[in-house]
Order: sequence, then C-alpha cells, then structure tokens
Amino acid sequence: MAKKWIYWFDELDSDFNELVGKKCANLGEMTKLGMRVPPGFAISVDGYERFMEDSGAGEEVQRYFHDNRHEINRVGKQVEASREIRRIIESKNLPQEMAQELRQSYASLCDQVGLHDLPVAVRSSGSVSMPGQMETYLNVRGENEVERKVTQVWGSAFTTRAIAFRLEKSMDIAKTPIGVAVLKMINAKCAGVVLTVLPTTGDMTKVVVEANWGLGESVVSGEITPDQFIVDKTCGECEATISSKTKMVCYGPVGTRVAEIPHDLRCAACLNPDELAEIVRIAKDVEAHFNLPQDMEWVIDQDLPFPENIYWVQARPAKFTKKKQDESQYLADLMSQIFRM
Amino acid sequence: MKVYDVVPGLEFDAERDLAQSPAWFLDATHSVPPWTPMFGWFWINFCRHGMQYGAEKLSLPTVHGWDWRFMNGGGYLTLLLVKSEEEKQRREVEFRKAILPLIQDYDGIWNGFVKEILGRYENLKTLDLDSASNIELLDNFEGTINTCRRMWEIHMYMMYGTYTAYILFENMCRELAGIDDTSPVFHRIVSGFDNKVFQVDRRLWEFSKIASDQGLASVFLENQELDIRGKLEESEKGRNFLKDFSEFLNEDGWRMQRMSEMNLPTWVEDPTPPLSMVKQFILKGGSFDLDNERNKRILEREDAEKQILSKIPSEQRAWLEPLMRLAQKSGIFSEEHDHYLDLYTHAMMRRSALGIGRRFAKSGTIDNHEDIFFLIPDEVRRAGLNPGSFDLRYIVDRRKSDWMEWQKTPNPPAILAEGFDLDQAMGILVKSNDPIALKVVVGSMPQVRPELKADLYGTCGSPGVAEGTARVIVTEDELHLIKEGDILVAVSTSPSWTPVFSMIKGVVVDRGASLSHAAIVGREYGIPVVMNVFEGTAKIRSGQRIRVDANLGAVYILDK
Repeated sequence: MAKKWIYWFDELDSDFNELVGKKCANLGEMTKLGMRVPPGFAISVDGYERFMEDSGAGEEVQRYFHDNRHEINRVGKQVEASREIRRIIESKNLPQEMAQELRQSYASLCDQVGLHDLPVAVRSSGSVSMPGQMETYLNVRGENEVERKVTQVWGSAFTTRAIAFRLEKSMDIAKTPIGVAVLKMINAKCAGVVLTVLPTTGDMTKVVVEANWGLGESVVSGEITPDQFIVDKTCGECEATISSKTKMVCYGPVGTRVAEIPHDLRCAACLNPDELAEIVRIAKDVEAHFNLPQDMEWVIDQDLPFPENIYWVQARPAKFTKKKQDESQYLADLMSQIFRM
Repeated sequence: MKVYDVVPGLEFDAERDLAQSPAWFLDATHSVPPWTPMFGWFWINFCRHGMQYGAEKLSLPTVHGWDWRFMNGGGYLTLLLVKSEEEKQRREVEFRKAILPLIQDYDGIWNGFVKEILGRYENLKTLDLDSASNIELLDNFEGTINTCRRMWEIHMYMMYGTYTAYILFENMCRELAGIDDTSPVFHRIVSGFDNKVFQVDRRLWEFSKIASDQGLASVFLENQELDIRGKLEESEKGRNFLKDFSEFLNEDGWRMQRMSEMNLPTWVEDPTPPLSMVKQFILKGGSFDLDNERNKRILEREDAEKQILSKIPSEQRAWLEPLMRLAQKSGIFSEEHDHYLDLYTHAMMRRSALGIGRRFAKSGTIDNHEDIFFLIPDEVRRAGLNPGSFDLRYIVDRRKSDWMEWQKTPNPPAILAEGFDLDQAMGILVKSNDPIALKVVVGSMPQVRPELKADLYGTCGSPGVAEGTARVIVTEDELHLIKEGDILVAVSTSPSWTPVFSMIKGVVVDRGASLSHAAIVGREYGIPVVMNVFEGTAKIRSGQRIRVDANLGAVYILDK
C-alpha cells in the first residue's frame, strides 16, 4: 500500500511540522487542545512528492532547471522559470489513485459538515518559513475545483520570490516540500486576531483583540482600522475602540472580494461582550498552555449559536517588542555600572 | 534619655556620632532657619526612613541611604556607605532587577503613587477637626504620621531611581556625544516640559486675567498684599472672585509658604501669598510667559534631541532614546514631587496638629494652639485622649526658649571629626556615588578661570547671559521685594519661589546642581542660572548691577 499522505487534523500535532507543514500541524495542535478549528484535513509533503514523481512533473522541473542552470541567477530568467514551472505543475492531473483518495476525503468532510459541495479553503502549509511565496485559495467548491487548487498550491511553491529565496539560501531549487490544508470555509460574521501581549510595549498584563466584519484577511493585512479591545488579564477591565469600518472581505462567486460595509454596521462593535470574553478566555488558556504570549486568528460563524460559532484558524507565538525587555535590562546594567565609578 | 529630646534616639551626640561617621552636613536647603521641634521630629524620623527605604528597595550598590541627626533645629546628614566590595557586588545584582520596573513603566508607577498619596490626604481631610472627638482627633494625627512616613518612602524610592537614570544619561551624553550637564545642548534636551507646579502658576495667571476683566485690578494694585482679601470681600464681584479662588485653593492650595516647616499658614488658611502673586501677574500684564517660552523650548528641545541622536551610532539609539525619555522625566519629577509629596503632606501635618492644638488650648493643656509645634508626637499622645488631665506648658516653655535661642546663632554647615577637613568630607559624598547627593547636594564644582576676570565662578544651570539689578533674597517672605528685570541672588530656591521667575532676568545661587529647583525652572523660563558660586549671597548686595554669563559660569559685579 502506498504511503499515507492525507491526515485529519485530529491526527496531527506540532511533531508533524516537517510532514504536513506548520499551518496544518498548528491546526492539529489546536484540535488536540480542544479548540474549535474548522473541520478539514492536511495533505503531507509525501503527497506533493508522490504527485511530482507519478505525474512526471518532477522530472520536467528538474530538466528545466538543469537546462537553464547557467542563466537562472538572472532575475529575468527567474520570472520566466516561475511561469514555466507553475505551468508544468498545474497542467498535470492528479494521478488516478491520488485523485480518488482526495475525493474520498473531501466527500467525508462534506458528510461531516452535512453540506454538498462544501466551500473550503485550500491553503499552503510550508514546513520552513518562506516569505510571501505561498498561495491560499478561498471559497473552493466541488471535488474538481479542490483537486485543481491543490495542484495550484503546489505550483505556488515556485513563485519568482521562492526561487530567488532558495537560490540565495543555496537550497535545492527543484525540491520544495509543501503541505496543503483543506478546511471548511466559515461563513464569517466577523473575524480578527487576538494577541496575549501588547505588541508595541510588550505589556503582558493585557490581551488585545482586533476585529472587522467579514473574513479575517482585512484585519491581518492591516488595510483597515479594525475595532480594538484591550482587556486586562487579571481584572477583565476592557478598553474598547470602535472604529468606523468601511470595507470588509467576503466570499465572491470564486475566491474572495472586497465589499462595502453597510452603513448601519460601520460604527457598530462587531463583537458582543460574550464573544469577546470567550475569545479572551481561550487565548489566555492557550498562552498558559504554551507558556508564551500567543498571536491567534479567530472567525465567528454567523450561522451557529454562541459559543459554537467561534472558530480558531491560527495560534502561534506572538512577535512583540521583546527587544523592549532586552533594552530595559541593558539600561539596568548600564545604570548599575555608574555605582562603580 | 533626657525628657526634652526633640527627636529621641536621633539627637546629635558628638562623641558617638563622629565615631560612626567623621562628617555630618547641615541640610541648609531645608533646615535654615532652624525647624520647630514637631517639624524636626517628622523630618528627621521619616526623611531618614524614606532614604534608607528607597536605597534598600532599589538595592543601591554603594549606599544604604542617609543617616540623619537633629541638633538645635538643624538637620545633619551623613551617608551610610556599603563597606565591603563583596556586598557591593551582591547589591549590584539585586539593583539590576529592582530598577527594571522604573525603566519599563515609569509613568505608571509615579501616577500610581500620586493616586495613593492623594487618596490618603482626602481621607485625612474628611474629619471635621473641631467637632471630632478626642479619639478621632488623635486617630487623625496618627494617620498623618503614617502618611508622612509613607510619603517619604515614595519620595525617596522615586528620587533615587529617577536620578540614577538621569546620571546615566548625563554620562552617556559625555561619553558618546561629548557634552555634559552644563552644556546648553544638554539643557535644551531636558527642558520644555509642563508640570504640576507650572500648572498652578498658570491658574494664578488666569485669575489675574479674571480680576482685570471684572474690573478688580485696582483692588490688587492700590492695596497692600495683606489687605487685598478684605477689600475684595467688600464688593459683590470681589466676593465672587474669592469664591472661585478658594475653590482653586481647596484643590491646589494645600501647600506651605515655607516648604519644609509647618508653623506658617497654608494657602488655604491664608491666601495672601497666592493673592500677591496674582497681583504680580496683573502688574506685569500680557500673556502667561511660560506658554510662549514653552513652545520655544519644545522646538529647541526637539532640535537638540536630533542633534544628540545623530551623533550616536544607530544601534545605540534603541536604548539611548528610552534613557533620554527617562532623564527628561527627572526634571518633571523634581518639581512635581514637591507639590504632591512634601508640600501637601506638610500641609496635612499642620492641619492635623492645629486641630489638636486648638483642643489642647481649650483644655488648658497648652496656652495657645500654635504651641503644639513645640511638642513632639509622644507628648501629644500623652495628653491626646484626656487633654484636661495634663498640663504640658512647662515643656512648651522650655522648647520655645530653646527654639528662640537656635534662631540667634546659625548652625555650623558641617560637623567634622578632628583632623578631618571639608574637602575630605566632600570627597566622601562624591565617592559614595549616591545619586541624590550628587545631583542635588554636591553638583559640579565650578572651574575658576582667571582669564575671565569674573567676581564669582559657578556652573551653568540654564544657559544665557543677562545684566540687571541684583536682589539678594534670604527667605520666602522677602520675595515681594523682587522687581521686574531683577537678577535673583539666593542660597537656593524652592517651589514657592517659582512665580518670581516670570519677572526676573537671571539667577545666581550659592548651591545647586542640574536638578535643583533654580536650574529646572530657569530652563523653562529661558533665563540664565549660575549655580554653585558658594559666596553669591555674601559678596553681592541688593541694588548692585551685575552681569551673569551662565554659558561661561561667570558672574560680574559691575558697580563695586
């Protein structure tokens, strides 16, 4: 029997980083912690490698790089290489056996949720951080589309930037281990992020929640001014800043689109106090579990009742100005030295 | 123990105390003229406690704080040095942890303390002293004692922490950019900040505008300071003015005329000093100088900040900038703490003590309510609950005659062990690395530069050059002698002197360092301040024309 290459999220945790990529492993880890994550499955790097081998795409890619090895350091050539390799990969169908397995998994996900042609997100999940080269496809419906988007995500491992990055780091350019996450799209009422530390000051006594109507992309990209709630971890005191929100991201017929927010919702808080409290509670639990400040993404489903409507799509250690701590310590050290003079 | 000790346990005892430390310095800023016994008791006990508390809380590597003794109304201090190298190292490790909160959340900590102490004052003020029972009165007095003790803890913890940051910034400016704390660029960096004391002055200026708008200017201008209040009471408009004025005083007037004494009325009791400041503002006319000056100062500061930062490698800026912000807070703290801490607490002490004084006088325990300042807390406790059963007049009599004796002969500036001279004593202060001793007491020593042919040499507290009539002021009650355009000559200045800075052209002080009151306020007003000339009040006479060049640290007496 061929190697297992599709995993349900509850089969995964952070030990699977290499195999399914960080994003999938993280969704698995959150599932294990009892957090509600969108139902779905992961395609491991084995799946990618098997596809490349069985479909013949791998050989063609190797050949292309070999043939162009003298020119590949030129930026112009890298642009051309990206286009060519993505074309090669996306032109290949999934080998029969793999296609069947993928369809089966998608079908059981649809069953699980109870929806025919369930809209899913197909996201890349790299095992090493590589900036900006991984694509995400939202609102993907039907087995054929899912199949197509999975190969497109694989192809996205060969963007110009990814090629340049791998050359620069002297990594094998023909090989790019990449996992894929296929998960239910949430019919988002609103979405956003929660950080268990104030990123600007490093203040760990507060939780900050940022939210906008629609999907989370608008908040994560920083293009709009979201609602902001700063909550004291101990006493629960909340400082809310409700912004006038004009634009949100929502589903289009294919993928997503930017939409105007209806006037009556613009200045309304997009989280109610119960939802806010629940998000903060879970964020604090996760922080306590990892013993590290967390940066988490959540979505609230408009079709489900509270608290089942809160979904988590990301949890990772927060980046914040830890430098602040170091600088303070450095200053403290310098101050102590003035007593030595 | 003698019955008449003013501060039992902490009276100066030459034999024992000189064996403990060879040099004791008179705190001339706070205890000249000599303190009343009750005030001396509070200061010696709790300033001493606060300094040791602050030094221990921060685990200052080289010093355990200061020790204090009382002698003839004077406060004498010496440093408690950390003796062994090994202990210094141990304390340094702890210091690095203890100072962190102040680096990371300075404003949060200071604002928290202000809230705490203001809460205590409000609490003390809720008691109506004249209708209270003896038990409540004594309780209020004990609460005041505890508040004073706590005030000094906050005071010295903050002061040690703040000044340490300031000294480091000064050192770094010298090392990295080649400028020290007497340089004009440095002064620009630490000026252009508002603080509570200035805000109070601004309110007084606003009252001068109100008075003029209401047609009350003549009441101020045509009457002696002491009569202004009574004359205002005579008209409807005047009464309205006084109503608003006393509302303002109830909030911000809990302060003493003399910063470190309790035998003079607070502004709340006697509004003559703030009313005479209103008069000065009316005389002067125009806008509130500080507003215009402040804007100039802010621009200059931002320019100077850029100048400093540009001289420093970019990787150093990440910590130098937060350090600079901390150092800038030193000036704000230096002024604000007087308002929220010393002045207000002393006003509370006076309020509570007078409440008991009135009760005692009614019961015949003492003759006059103000005689309470000649008792110390243990004696107050003796008669506190049953004043009618005790006659404490014999103690008051004896203490009062002692106190009057103290006024006649000035206390010596230092008491030194045999064979020990003042230079050696100053050397100990400097070697202690005690941040407060360095920044407030000692200061930089002036450089005598014969080529300048100046009459006095000092250090620059605020840059600039000015020429004008000298006005030598010894105590606060002479402040009204100052005229527009004078150059103030004093031993040192304190917050109650702030309003005259809007009238004068320059300042010469005998003692001072870059965080002394005269330097901080002079910088905000943009007038030259020369400090540490030592003999200014001795050599300069009121009325002489003098020229101060703060940039060079030189003072010239033009008509000798």
